[in-house]
Amino acid sequence: MPLKALDIYKLLPRKNCKECGDPTCLTFAMKLASGKGDVDRCPYLDEHAREILGSSTRPPIRLVKVGVGERSFAVGDELVQFRHEKTFYHPPGVMVAVSDLWTKDQIQAVVARVRDTVVVRVGTDLRLNGVAVRHESSDPGAFRRAVEAVEEIADLPEVLMAGDPGVMEQGLAVCGHFRPLIHAATPQNHEAMSDLAKNYGCPLVVKADDPGGLPDLVERCTGRGVQNLVLDPATTSLHRFQNISTAIRQQAVTRSTPSLGYPVFLDAAATGMQDAAIVTGILRFASVMVVENPDQASLLSLLTLRQNIYTDPQKPIQMTPGIYRVGTPGPDSPVLMTVNFSLTFFTLQGYLEATRIPCFMVIVDTEGLSVLTAVASGKLNETMVAESLKKFSLEKEVTHRSLIIPGYAAPLSGRIEEATGWEVLVGPRDAAEIGEYLEKEWKR
Amino acid sequence: MGLETISSFTGQIGTVLLGATRSEGGSRSISYTIGGERDLPFLGSPPSGHKPLVAYELCDDAAVWPPVVREFLGDRTREPGAWAREAGDTWKPDLIRLVLTSTRKRDFQDFASLRRTVEEVLQQSPLPLIIEGSTDQAIDSEVFAACGEAGEGERLLLGTAEAGRYRSIAAAALAYGHAVIAQSPIDINLAKQLNILLRETGVPADRIVIDPYTGALGYGFEYSFSVMERIRTSALKGDCDLAMPMISGAPDTLTIKEVREADPGIRQRVAVTWEFSTALASALAGASIVSVRHPETLALLREAIDALWGGAGVR
Repeated sequence: MPLKALDIYKLLPRKNCKECGDPTCLTFAMKLASGKGDVDRCPYLDEHAREILGSSTRPPIRLVKVGVGERSFAVGDELVQFRHEKTFYHPPGVMVAVSDLWTKDQIQAVVARVRDTVVVRVGTDLRLNGVAVRHESSDPGAFRRAVEAVEEIADLPEVLMAGDPGVMEQGLAVCGHFRPLIHAATPQNHEAMSDLAKNYGCPLVVKADDPGGLPDLVERCTGRGVQNLVLDPATTSLHRFQNISTAIRQQAVTRSTPSLGYPVFLDAAATGMQDAAIVTGILRFASVMVVENPDQASLLSLLTLRQNIYTDPQKPIQMTPGIYRVGTPGPDSPVLMTVNFSLTFFTLQGYLEATRIPCFMVIVDTEGLSVLTAVASGKLNETMVAESLKKFSLEKEVTHRSLIIPGYAAPLSGRIEEATGWEVLVGPRDAAEIGEYLEKEWKR
Repeated sequence: MGLETISSFTGQIGTVLLGATRSEGGSRSISYTIGGERDLPFLGSPPSGHKPLVAYELCDDAAVWPPVVREFLGDRTREPGAWAREAGDTWKPDLIRLVLTSTRKRDFQDFASLRRTVEEVLQQSPLPLIIEGSTDQAIDSEVFAACGEAGEGERLLLGTAEAGRYRSIAAAALAYGHAVIAQSPIDINLAKQLNILLRETGVPADRIVIDPYTGALGYGFEYSFSVMERIRTSALKGDCDLAMPMISGAPDTLTIKEVREADPGIRQRVAVTWEFSTALASALAGASIVSVRHPETLALLREAIDALWGGAGVR
């Protein structure tokens, strides 16, 4: 049961010492109540208060940062099991694997791809997140050289994957101060791994072959002073991964097992069906995924699915209203009006580009609503269309006075004609038919 | 000690029977039950309900079919019966989904040819059949009567009923013993409303399959995904008007910009991966039938669904 800010305030020392970083105890209490604060920042809490606050104000899933600098990323801090209940906040980091059995050139080819690949979709840059270095040779020095090869050409977040703490230390000696994710603490080596994580200030993956053993192992690691943990259910079965990961998410967000309140790790490559594992991981709460260098096709669909699932379902992505050009339109080019829901915009734009007919797109502000919903709610109406045309000075762009509107806006056609003085042509409902429409109706 | 999911659900998804074998009064080599889940998709060992099925889509007029599939199949798209037989033998889908694209032509009136097409496909392929008829109210009645009658006894799944036009398809389903796909535009309330309307016309709940409409990955899939999850959780919480199995096929997937504009050397692979990701994500959202158009998507999807379902011998 979450506590209210005032209830929390009563448990705090109320001396406004500012040592937690907040100006007053009340602001600190409000942060705790919203799940954004960390109880441990208050040095004056008594044991009783700490116990009450610790379990109910911590975010249900801990926020864990990997890497430093521009490309660093944070995962965890999620509040719900279902995207539609609120939203998912922190998309999974996708880490591309390299091996210390490879040559330096092989390693750096992959690293450069991760560093440089950008896919632009719906106006957003989508990227892979980092590199996972696997220790597969029998030579600890090889692991060190592999990490050096990565560091030499990129400032990317890394996952260091070695089961032997001695080997891990070889890697940490190179990049330990850039907050790599250490993989992994097991029931056998957790003391040494925890100490490494603590000394270098790195996040640590906790891995138990029996996932039932995870809470116990987590407590051992936190007991040794490592707070930033990630859970590896250690399975290569998609069935088991999706069941265990769902169980972890359920128990974390309901706070029924606080020691499961950490992000989840998935070695997608190890499942032997990487594309399927990636889809499952994105949909089923994986926060760090290790993949073998994906080909262009896998990369595109993986980044797109991740973007889709991690958009806020209550807040459609919007375009800035205005005039957009397709090709190099002239004064007699067609003008097509539509809404500023980004999906509508990019879908129409894609089909318009395919027609190879230069034209103007006039994007009006429907607050991100689609045509159908904007018409139904009155957000799309003749007054705002008229005002938009004037504001964008459309009459200076073209010599004709014909406006093509979306098929679903047909009921407004008469009123738009009256309000704007432009001739209104009703286009197709489906953007896919716009090419045929322009061919037939515009060239006529 | 394992780590178990918690289920607080009390409801159950209804079941729908598809296809009829000889002993069931039809001529199919197999029949399926879909639905029956008591929990979220693929949860539990074994999961509740029936494993999702994979349908392969083909059509009777390939002029409007995705170019990437036509390029892959060449002139094998010319004849739906042979196409269905080869698909069943080679790529092993669970069902065939025949889309009667010929009805999309302006002023289509050749209903006798539809009947022949359906009979031909039923003769050539022993798999249970989904038929997508017209999309124009003016010819719905004749189209669905022709399909329904040609497949009498085969327990077809007929698509697609929408809010404004469901009577013809419901009538054909009732007259000839078929099930119906009820499609709504990515909206849980409209899905529910259409199910109620269909039941008022006499279509029983166990002959309705919900199609929440699936936007392609990157083109609205996020909305479809959440609507599917909402439909499923509402049903499991006890909403009987939404407790029907779902079908998902994202018709635009193979014609989106990323596929159209892909480098020719990787276009086929982009198409397959995009379709695979969309379909697998739909199965994870709760679809009981996922349907695809590229033959090479089928084996990948089958393998992934088996792996998610679990059980002996599965990775």
